[in-house]
Amino acid sequence: MMVSKGNQQYPPLRALQASAVLRRASDEHKKEPLASSSQQHFDSPPAGHQPEQKPQGPHPSYTGQGGQESEDYESEEQLQHRILTAALEFVPEHGWTAEAIAEGAKTLGLSVAAAGMFRSDGSELILHFVSECNSKLSELLQKEQKLVQLGEAEKKPIDEFLRDAVEARLRMLIPYIEKWPQALSILLLPRNIPSSLNLLTSMIDDIWHYAGDQSTDFNWYTRRAVLTGIYNTTELVMMQDSSPGFEDTWRFLGNRVADAMAMSSTASQVQSTGEAVVQGLMGAAVTIKNLAGLNQRR
Amino acid sequence: MHFGFQTVTEEERREKIYQVFENVAKKYDVMNDSMTLGIHRVWKDILVHKMNPCPGTLLLDVAGGTGDIAFRFINYVRSVRQRQLQRKLKHHQNLSWQEIFESYQKDEFNSLGDSQVVVCDINREMLKVGKQKAEHLGYSEGLSWVLGNAEELPFDDDKFDVYTIAFGIRNVTRIDLALQEAYRVLKPGGRFLCLEFSHVSNPLLSRLYDLYSFQVIPVLGEVIAGDWRSYQYLVESIRQFPPQEELKVMIEDAGFFKVDYENLNFGIVAIHSGFKL
Repeated sequence: MMVSKGNQQYPPLRALQASAVLRRASDEHKKEPLASSSQQHFDSPPAGHQPEQKPQGPHPSYTGQGGQESEDYESEEQLQHRILTAALEFVPEHGWTAEAIAEGAKTLGLSVAAAGMFRSDGSELILHFVSECNSKLSELLQKEQKLVQLGEAEKKPIDEFLRDAVEARLRMLIPYIEKWPQALSILLLPRNIPSSLNLLTSMIDDIWHYAGDQSTDFNWYTRRAVLTGIYNTTELVMMQDSSPGFEDTWRFLGNRVADAMAMSSTASQVQSTGEAVVQGLMGAAVTIKNLAGLNQRR
Repeated sequence: MHFGFQTVTEEERREKIYQVFENVAKKYDVMNDSMTLGIHRVWKDILVHKMNPCPGTLLLDVAGGTGDIAFRFINYVRSVRQRQLQRKLKHHQNLSWQEIFESYQKDEFNSLGDSQVVVCDINREMLKVGKQKAEHLGYSEGLSWVLGNAEELPFDDDKFDVYTIAFGIRNVTRIDLALQEAYRVLKPGGRFLCLEFSHVSNPLLSRLYDLYSFQVIPVLGEVIAGDWRSYQYLVESIRQFPPQEELKVMIEDAGFFKVDYENLNFGIVAIHSGFKL
């Protein structure tokens, strides 16, 4: 299948053919003050274009000569972002599917055919969700760090910090927990592994950054591997947890973090890295084994 | 203006093309099967699969003549709807029979989920053949047949979710007008899909393809449909049609975003897709 991507740089005339949906991120109903001045840039319209292309729909922004869009003009990517965010609402009902995306598009006033912009297995929706959760976690950790810097909060000991960060991140899955196993299996598809792995590692990096990890030596890898192992195994435990408020999961998490702390104080760093990696792999194997038979929670 | 490899005026071209399809209408499907060795069915299946319509979609199939795309759309939507209803029933297994019966009354279980397809064609003969086929195959729900010109559609703005034109845009005299009309009648967020013969870049394959087109197809046309001239036109018009990238630019000029194309069979056929955003 040979697919050619549309051009990212729109020539000025194209951006002015204001589309029905791509709109100013800000006020939609502003007047068109620059209509006459923007015409000056097109003294000789390129051949093949219709001469009198009056913009329809929402008023377009004034575009620079280089064909760059002004900051206010929404791009295709931002629109796709909006659609995916709107689609999350429908995931509990429809799962991570093109149907959920179609429903999301509908709420934005778009045709259901807009879901055709995304791959039909819903992987983009899941990756979008993961990326949003990671951003939220970042914000949360940043806020906490500010409080500590301002002296309004105590700096947490490292094990408590890690436990709270992982718990906060996993709690974001709770509204979608019914369909999360489906999402995990889609993220493990070979096509999606690069992106999902990328998101996972950057999230882990983030947590360690806010935990105050300044190391640049071998310990850096050890710490990443350990925390990744903790995160993955806890996530899997959460999938099968039916205790009230997921208390079993949080208890499991606490134990794993304590283990990690104990591990780091021993001299065998290399061994512990290996163990952490094995832990992560075991977790993945358990997931695949369970997902083969796991259709619902419990 | 070109009509195959001849040069004619715009008006003459429209008339000639009308006559071509008037003549071939009755044998259209048979000829498609013999010329493409049945592969056109796969192409059309791929088109509808790519569309991936969900129930409730309103499709406009332009130059849809004998209804191939329309029937496939209905089948697809019907099976998606089946699966949806099964899932719904699984969730509602605790309903009493009274409640289930009442939901039938509410027509909640309609089999197409309010999807509809409008088949639009400029040629009366082709529409006639299409309607007969529909009756014969048992398609009645969700199907409408409208006489209309792709360059000037008899529909209001912002009406349709998907616009398809399969093996039709080649016969339109002013392609840019047809693309603009497509843009007009689509809802915001709506999708434009075009299935058409295109340019083969592989030189060896291109030579075989030319050989087949110019030596075999008109002969088949004479033998099966008794009309080699129409099929000569068909083969020539494929050569005159703009290649993939050029068509992509034309679609973008009409205002569509996220335009791309997918080659089938090394470029013998291509599916172009764009969105009204």
